[in-house]
Amino acid sequence: MNSTPFRGHARFLGLLLGVGAAAAVVSGGGSLTARASAPALMPVTSYRSASCGCCKGWVQHMRANGFAVRDVVVADVAVIKRRLGVPTRLASCHTAEVAGFALEGHVPAADVKRLLQKRPQVAGLALPGMPLGSPGMESAYGKEAFTVMAFTRTGAISSFSQHAK
Amino acid sequence: MTTPLRRRQVLGLGLAGLGTAVVGPLLWDRLQHSAARAQPAGAARLASRGGVADLELVASATPGTLPGGPATLLTYNGRSPGPLLEVNAGDQVRLRLRNDLQEPTNLHFHGLHIPPTGTGDNVFLTVPPGGSTTYAFKLAADHPAGLFYVHPHHHGHSADQVFGGLGGALVVRGDLDRIPEVGAASESVLVLKDFASASGQEAAMGVGRMLGREGPLLTVNGELNPALAIPSGGLLRLRLLNASNARIYRLALEGHRMVLIATDGGAIATPESLEELLLAPGERADVLVQGNQTPGSYRLRNLPYQRSGHMGMGQVADAPQTLATLNYAGSVATLPLPKTLIPVPSQPQPERTRRFSLAHAMGMGMGGMQHGMGGMGSGGMGFVINGQPFDPDRIDTRVSLGSTEDWLIVNDDVMDHPFHLHVNPFQVISRAGRPEAQRRWKDTVLVKAGEEVRIRVTFKDFTGRTVYHCHNLDHEDLGLMGVLQID
Repeated sequence: MNSTPFRGHARFLGLLLGVGAAAAVVSGGGSLTARASAPALMPVTSYRSASCGCCKGWVQHMRANGFAVRDVVVADVAVIKRRLGVPTRLASCHTAEVAGFALEGHVPAADVKRLLQKRPQVAGLALPGMPLGSPGMESAYGKEAFTVMAFTRTGAISSFSQHAK
Repeated sequence: MTTPLRRRQVLGLGLAGLGTAVVGPLLWDRLQHSAARAQPAGAARLASRGGVADLELVASATPGTLPGGPATLLTYNGRSPGPLLEVNAGDQVRLRLRNDLQEPTNLHFHGLHIPPTGTGDNVFLTVPPGGSTTYAFKLAADHPAGLFYVHPHHHGHSADQVFGGLGGALVVRGDLDRIPEVGAASESVLVLKDFASASGQEAAMGVGRMLGREGPLLTVNGELNPALAIPSGGLLRLRLLNASNARIYRLALEGHRMVLIATDGGAIATPESLEELLLAPGERADVLVQGNQTPGSYRLRNLPYQRSGHMGMGQVADAPQTLATLNYAGSVATLPLPKTLIPVPSQPQPERTRRFSLAHAMGMGMGGMQHGMGGMGSGGMGFVINGQPFDPDRIDTRVSLGSTEDWLIVNDDVMDHPFHLHVNPFQVISRAGRPEAQRRWKDTVLVKAGEEVRIRVTFKDFTGRTVYHCHNLDHEDLGLMGVLQID
């Protein structure tokens, strides 16, 4: 899986520092001291349908990459998608919010980090459908190439990152 | 014959260079003359003679053209769809399949009530590349007349091969055709099939294998927007087959109602007038259209449909798409609709009820996949029935010959699943707790996201091993299939 190379790698690492430390807390349990000194985890709120079999996999992927994910089961995900302005043609299963941006579907954590670093003038990122091999969709049946799209409040859509098979 | 400009508006994927219709028999004929590189396309129709159907299908990858550029299409006898196969109830059928593909294939006789073993509807057979096999079976003299479907069913290749172009209609002539009003109608078999564009961009927009691949090129008998003719006062019998990999059609004919006379397994009891017809992959329907409107042109349209509940996932088109155009031509004395058709008896009361839960889920090895230790077998994401992905070596359901069972098909998923049972037709008893108004013979039923459908089936005449599965064929290849043993 190759995401588009990051520009300004050093700046990106700076952002990651906090996230990395936080991840250590999550995976290692950490002492109270370590917890206190670690920067706050970037909070994400994820909305999913109870019957979806893959949304939890994405939540785990985000947690493993240093995000503090609140996993919310809702009766009607479509309401959330509309509120956050996700274009219908970009729809996936779950929808999430991070720092005022919408995240639709199995968007890789690395793309979310680049979004937070660059803060482009977009409403959010979307990975439409449920591509095999995307985070939370790892499968022995194979992988599919996929493109993470950025979308604006007015519904303009552009390619954010391409991921090969 | 075609209206490429209209298609261009519909496609909306920036495809350049739309030419004439390019997939169907007309294309292949044209290729013979212009390119002389494809093998000669075989006859458009193969029929039985004197009670014997001696048929041959050659599966091959054939160079062709799609809007946007050259493409390789998968064909039977150089055609996509394959030739129309036409047989009679009571016929002895011998069908030789030659595999000129680079991968294994086989055939499924979707909807036929024939043995699942030996040279019958045996989907466990493999025809290797370069190999051939002959399917041989006898249709019962009282086999229902209907529109059936021949397509590849080699697990792991079904979706690729059907999406690539393999499949065709099989007409069995019999009881329904002898009803005078039905026999008086002119007849068009319409094979509905979508193709990927030459660029394949649509997969990048989310309509991949997990949702089931759809293509933006909506063809009828391999053509874009073909013309259909009806005389004023006439009756046109449209015989519709959804031969697509995953696309669910929501059909409507401008200005006309469609009078349903047959479902998957043959005639219904009483004609039913419909405004719209929902047709999932593998489903068939016969409808009568009356030429009772102002002479003119009317579009057969595919209306937008949500196949992931109302989440919007996988919905590419939000406007109607034209599939074909019905043109009035001439006039005849008004032909009447049939009043009744063929009784559909209720099945015996079920001896037991089984529950089948359909879902997508992380299978065994989920942790392994995530920690880089997996990758074996069916680990990771896939589709499951009652928690288990397909395993050809495991019998999931064992039933007794002659018994009747209710199967509760529970869609515990966020997307629709058309459920298909081989060999024995069933009747839908209820949907979402609501009883069905009429008993009808079905072999494929759309179970919408979150919905429960109760079907009733009697296992008649044939023992052996067969399957039930989701007829979104990408889902089947990704595990949504079970093995049924009839003893």
